[in-house]
Amino acid sequence: MSQGTPLNEAQALDWLRQLEDPGQRYYAAWWLGRMRSHHPQAVPLLIQALAERGPRLDPTCGVDEPNPVARNAARALGKLADSQAVDPLLEALESSDDGLREAAARSLGQLGALKARRPILRRLASGPLVAGAPRPGTSRLMEPCEALLEALGALGWQGEEGSTITDREPLLAVVRAYGDHERPLIRSAAYRSLLQLTREDCWGEQLVNLLRHNELQVRRAALLDLGVTGWRPAGAAIAQTLAENSLKLIALRGLVENSPARNHTSPSPSPEEAGLLVAMDDLL
Amino acid sequence: MPSTPPDSRQQVQALVDAVQAAQTADDLTDAVEDLSACAHPMAIPCLIQVLGFNNPGAAVAAVDGLVAIGAAAVPAILANLDEYNYGARAWSVRALAGIGDLRGLPLLERALAQDIGPSVRRAAARGMGGLHPHGFTARQRQELAERILPQLKAACGDEEWIVRYAVAVGLEGMEHWWQPPAAQRHRLLDALQTLADPQREAAPVVWLRARLALNRLATAAAVTRA
Repeated sequence: MSQGTPLNEAQALDWLRQLEDPGQRYYAAWWLGRMRSHHPQAVPLLIQALAERGPRLDPTCGVDEPNPVARNAARALGKLADSQAVDPLLEALESSDDGLREAAARSLGQLGALKARRPILRRLASGPLVAGAPRPGTSRLMEPCEALLEALGALGWQGEEGSTITDREPLLAVVRAYGDHERPLIRSAAYRSLLQLTREDCWGEQLVNLLRHNELQVRRAALLDLGVTGWRPAGAAIAQTLAENSLKLIALRGLVENSPARNHTSPSPSPEEAGLLVAMDDLL
Repeated sequence: MPSTPPDSRQQVQALVDAVQAAQTADDLTDAVEDLSACAHPMAIPCLIQVLGFNNPGAAVAAVDGLVAIGAAAVPAILANLDEYNYGARAWSVRALAGIGDLRGLPLLERALAQDIGPSVRRAAARGMGGLHPHGFTARQRQELAERILPQLKAACGDEEWIVRYAVAVGLEGMEHWWQPPAAQRHRLLDALQTLADPQREAAPVVWLRARLALNRLATAAAVTRA
């Protein structure tokens, strides 16, 4: 079993082309995504790798998940912004491996793949007590709810035919149900998605409440979720959260850059943005 | 009857004991905040120890305490750097950056140029803008600027956005201690322009921070001229 990661793009492509060593294929897929490879062979090779099914790799190489090559290929394809990947990822979204479905859902959200909205919604429709029920014998849920909810938020309301979706209530009802999930990380994902979809302050306030949760892991998730939504009223609460400054800085950057209030034509920060920047300065 | 001085040795010792006895993360944070609030030099060893506990809340409070104590804490911080604990080293650099004592500068320089932790490099970049060269002549301040400006300019190419952000903050801060003569001032503005340019800088938040710095420096210059 190989160790380490590829040194350059040519080596990463070679590692992904060969079929003998799944460890090399695993790291090659990760490397191409991480480095945002533009090589014309990268996406076709990753799509091939996405179809690979295989057992866990030897735990001595530090990888402990089933279908590791396909999962890393799915993750990488989300970073490469190539629409060729959409149909193969939609297929992966129907896999029996929930970890592969999770990676595919995240990547489809990152790619803005509007065709993914319907199948994602179908997976969530049975609600927190079925799709969101614990998977026996594991710490996971029946469906990768967090990734599915986040993807819906990322996709927004643009319809597949270019129009805007007007019948919003069915989708919102599904997402809202997860706002009552017993796990705070799932609630956080639901609030994030609802805030992106509705821009209603109540969801931002729910995320701010999670910044005071007693588990650090939950506070971290809520920080990152607020950053993605760009909900600026959370600025002061983010600055005071008990968590690493690095994460608070990422969240505040999100408030500056992702808010609908951001004026893309002005080179100078607005007074509100200047306030967020000053809060960031204090955390450096 | 004479009243007890507010920060007598026994009182500080009791606060140190409370830090050592804390059982939960929250208790520790509360105890460190109390100890930091007294800003007493006797607290220094205990506060430095807290930097290595991997408890962000307590570490923030300990850094605040060390910064409040100021120059007296610098030798102990420098003597107790933990080469094997990134987190602790980042907090030490933050404390030195906040104090602004020139004895800490070699550490900030090494951290900015070489440290593998972005949180350490960002603290170092900010710290270079927060130096307090007390009693320096204009010529000495100029020499210090000649030493630091190239290092911050080099860090404009750092791969992590947060380090480049901190460089913008550091460059703006340099103006306060450098007080550059009119003929030198453009060197500071040129460096900030690199970060404010969407063609050369990838992260919008960095352009905005650099632009904020440029706007503030322009206002300061206008006030000085008026």
